[in-house]
Amino acid sequence: MTRLERLTIGLLWIIGGLTFAILYAPALIVILLSFFGLKNHQIDWSTFSLEWYGRLADNSQLLSALYNSIVVGICAVVSATIISLALAYYMKTGVRRGRAYVEFIIFLPFVLPAIITGISLLVAFREIGLERSLITVTIGHIVLILAVVYRMVTIRLDTLENSQIEASLDLGANGLETFLYVVLPQLRSALLTSSLLAFALSFDETLVTFFLVGGETTLPMRLWAMMRTGFTPEINALVSIVLCVTLLFAALGAMSLRESIERKP
Amino acid sequence: MTVSTADIVSAGNSGPLYWRPSLGRIAARILVYGVPTLLILVPLLSFLTYSFLEMKDNQVTGQPTLSNYAGFFQSGSYLYVFFGTVKLAFIVAAVALILGYIISYLIWRLEGSVRYLLLLLSALPLVMNYVVKIYAMRSILGFNGFLNSFLLAAGIIDAPSKLFIFNQTAVMLTMAVIYLPFGILPIFLALERIPQSLLSAAADLGAKPGQIFLSVVLPLSLPGSIAGGLFVMVIALGDYLTPQMVGGSEGFTFGRAIWSQFGMAFNWPFGAALAVVLLVTVIALIGLASFILRNARMQ
Repeated sequence: MTRLERLTIGLLWIIGGLTFAILYAPALIVILLSFFGLKNHQIDWSTFSLEWYGRLADNSQLLSALYNSIVVGICAVVSATIISLALAYYMKTGVRRGRAYVEFIIFLPFVLPAIITGISLLVAFREIGLERSLITVTIGHIVLILAVVYRMVTIRLDTLENSQIEASLDLGANGLETFLYVVLPQLRSALLTSSLLAFALSFDETLVTFFLVGGETTLPMRLWAMMRTGFTPEINALVSIVLCVTLLFAALGAMSLRESIERKP
Repeated sequence: MTVSTADIVSAGNSGPLYWRPSLGRIAARILVYGVPTLLILVPLLSFLTYSFLEMKDNQVTGQPTLSNYAGFFQSGSYLYVFFGTVKLAFIVAAVALILGYIISYLIWRLEGSVRYLLLLLSALPLVMNYVVKIYAMRSILGFNGFLNSFLLAAGIIDAPSKLFIFNQTAVMLTMAVIYLPFGILPIFLALERIPQSLLSAAADLGAKPGQIFLSVVLPLSLPGSIAGGLFVMVIALGDYLTPQMVGGSEGFTFGRAIWSQFGMAFNWPFGAALAVVLLVTVIALIGLASFILRNARMQ
């Protein structure tokens, strides 16, 4: 490498490092503020306390929003996984002419801005007279995460040899048995990864939920409402916990994704 | 093409001799095509229909009309907000493209677990809570925020500046920080698709690293990178919460205009028409991205 090239690469690393710092600055500030107080709008390093974490247990509104988020996330992930599995397996066995159509539709909410998906569902729910509630929120989340789960399941299913399914059918197993004993066990890591990822997406989903939420709210909605009236430091504490938990989930997902990538020949 | 047993079985079933209209088979077909249609296509169509409905005395009359679209194209202020938002999203996408390319390129040159770790680090901000990120950005950019404190302490400015909050600049900066990770991954994948043998061949033929970058890496990775940038632009165009939170009255965007028709003004047909304008713009951008990608692959 010439000196000029080394200089260029060094400069690029400085820009890259600064960009990383900026990317993580918001999260860092929230975590710092959950431990320290503010003095003259600067972090006061002498005021370390865990007080705000302790106060969290008393905030029933936040806790119920957190609970709602978890319930919605689990319901949405389970439903989306079942639908994706059924679709992907149906497309896998035999020549399916409708595959392009189904995949086009499933990927639409993933590609289009969230506001369009939100408005569509809002209008459709009103037309059929379905009141806004956690149920409508869950349906919205299913629509959003379907693409992710379906994609990961299909990628894994495509690497599965058709001969395995044929052998199973030849040996007298019916379609359901083949699916349960031959196909499903091999999808385990793909299902785990996609569920973790989909749960993280659902847990954080704000832009579509906004249009579908009724009286009971999810955590991002609750945070949004509190943000407009002013945050209290206990929210920083909760948010720090949430950040760490989602980071953990994502890291787990990424690790199992790495495993499934490396296992490929 | 391989012929699976399932094909043979289904071929047998459709023959005249064995033809049995299995109820389960029909039910499966209806579910497979019906569920996505019902969950996604029907809502989209009902929203499209809504944009053509007449609104009179705060009631949707059900009469078909084009007046919602006329309302948009004839009003200077909505057009102004629309083009302002397109410009804003374009700048955000350009920032994501440039910074994303630098980061992706650096990660791409690395080997082993450092490479994997940095890639993970650039994707992780995607799962950090969106609302929290906007909130934290506000406390960074605000009048009494960290950025102003830093600039004061560094002696760059004498008094706190209002330049960074409640205007278009604030919206742009916040969106750039939030949406940059969406740019990094597609750009990295575009770099990853370059065959290693091409780089070795260029090096064997005596090209210097700078020459390899300019005449091999950049031309091959640029189309995919631009497509990634357009993806960021699509997300930025539809965002309505970031501008609401850090934009103030000066940072009014098209997404906020749509949102206000549903939230405050309760003129759903007009809001739907505005959303259709957004939809058409987005489809044009996605079309442009896939055109760029297809042309790049053919060469």
